[in-house]
Amino acid sequence: MCGIAGRILSAPGVIGNDLVELMDAQEHRGADSTGFAIYGPQRDYGYVLRGMGFDKSQLDQDMRDFENLLHDNGSGLMSDPTIIRNEERHYCFRMEIEDPDDLAGWVQDADTLSDRIEVQSCGRSLEIIKDTGSAAAVADKHHVRDMVGTHGLGHARLATESSVLPNASHPFWARPFSDVAIVHNGQITDYFTWREKLERQGYRFLTGNDSELIAVWVSDQMKAGLGLEQALRKSITSIDGVFTYMIANADGIGFAKDRFAMKPLVVIERGGDIAMATEEQAVRRVVTEEADVINHDGPSLIGLWGVGNRRLAA
Amino acid sequence: MSEVVVDVGQRYIKEVNIEIMEAANAGKPIRVVNTLSRHNLGIGLPDGAQISFEGSVGYYCGGLNTGATIEIERNCGWALGEGMSKGLITVGERAGMSCGAAMIGGTIHVKGDAGPRCGVAMKGGNIVVEGKIGYQSGFMAHAGRIIALGGAGESCADALWEGEVWVAGDVDSLGVDVNVVEPAAEEVAEVDAILKPLGLVDSSRNWRKMISGQRLWYFESRDASAWLMI
Repeated sequence: MCGIAGRILSAPGVIGNDLVELMDAQEHRGADSTGFAIYGPQRDYGYVLRGMGFDKSQLDQDMRDFENLLHDNGSGLMSDPTIIRNEERHYCFRMEIEDPDDLAGWVQDADTLSDRIEVQSCGRSLEIIKDTGSAAAVADKHHVRDMVGTHGLGHARLATESSVLPNASHPFWARPFSDVAIVHNGQITDYFTWREKLERQGYRFLTGNDSELIAVWVSDQMKAGLGLEQALRKSITSIDGVFTYMIANADGIGFAKDRFAMKPLVVIERGGDIAMATEEQAVRRVVTEEADVINHDGPSLIGLWGVGNRRLAA
Repeated sequence: MSEVVVDVGQRYIKEVNIEIMEAANAGKPIRVVNTLSRHNLGIGLPDGAQISFEGSVGYYCGGLNTGATIEIERNCGWALGEGMSKGLITVGERAGMSCGAAMIGGTIHVKGDAGPRCGVAMKGGNIVVEGKIGYQSGFMAHAGRIIALGGAGESCADALWEGEVWVAGDVDSLGVDVNVVEPAAEEVAEVDAILKPLGLVDSSRNWRKMISGQRLWYFESRDASAWLMI
């Protein structure tokens, strides 16, 4: 039992605060960790990275090695990285980098350091912030409430099939596809079968979390030529398990639900603003005016919501 | 008797329920406001209690009801009236998943649609849904009746035991081990007797009654392939 949420604003605004509220209202669904995927201002050049180092005593060496690796790939830091740390062993970072010569090739190189430092999102606008702890604790530590953007996802995790570690928190980035993030409520029962197939194609997974697989699976289907809507629909019959997941890119948010109708999703659409969550009480936290709730609680459902006048490719 | 108004907001639900229970035990009618779709409201209410919830409620509202009359203005979340034994719960709009799960008596009346697995594992009582019942409604219902006036979703009455699912309207698909039978006149009269106090009797309805095919009652694992649904 996890809690998931999504939010789309009709105009750029303080999306971070809404996502924190959506997850705070669902903290009882999973208190192990909380995470947010926030789509902020879109860049024409450069990527923003979010990630984690596992031992803060190695921070200086980590940063030197990481920067060298950027230079090896024709990239570099555009400003000093922001480091977030407290008494815990791990630290988190945010950095803006120049376009590498080849994004996927650079991500592959960066993953050679993943036993020490892990890139958890890469995008023109996407930033994934995740950590152990409640929505309020993660929001305070990473200043999430002040973050501005158009849309985003949230997740409260009750760990079931993998460890409670900061990097096993959701959302997951669809490594190495920029600006794609996922949150998931459920269990994928053919995880190892799909993971092996995708690894044979060259994809890498940095956690044992089944949700990481869905992000890559959907992106791989799209790389092979499917539209998002087709990929979402195909996932219902291809991936085994009970699930409701939401996947986001720079243009909007989509969702898919399994064949067994086990995991709920409720949505309020009001004046171009959209709130989605596992529970009705969460969407009512951010939409306080009287509004009808749409329950997507049937089996084998998908949906797509575009941001502003953008349309998600069907 | 003067009405007691209970304000929920973001208060601790245990504290709200204590306030509700004190008013119920004093025999006072209760109006609950500012509900914000919160969970676990009005659990274990006693016989004779009268309570209304303004707006929508979350999961498990009215669970373990032992005879209260509960009215919910708009929607309810999962497992409305779970395990209730007596009383009446009315939902003004929509009920979420597992409405009436494992209830053993009393009546639930939903004026809109009900979500998946309505009446799952129910052991008695009646669930009346004016709209459509969702996916796999009646799943493993041991006893009692689910009465859907607006049709049923996929996998209706899946793995039913001795419960009954009555549907007026379209059924998207049947679950496993279901027999559809024409109800006898005296059975229709029994259902009309349930509907009458709710003002829902309509003699023009074409009922379909779903009961267990009883083949799963004697299920043997070597026959499992015959029951694969997917």
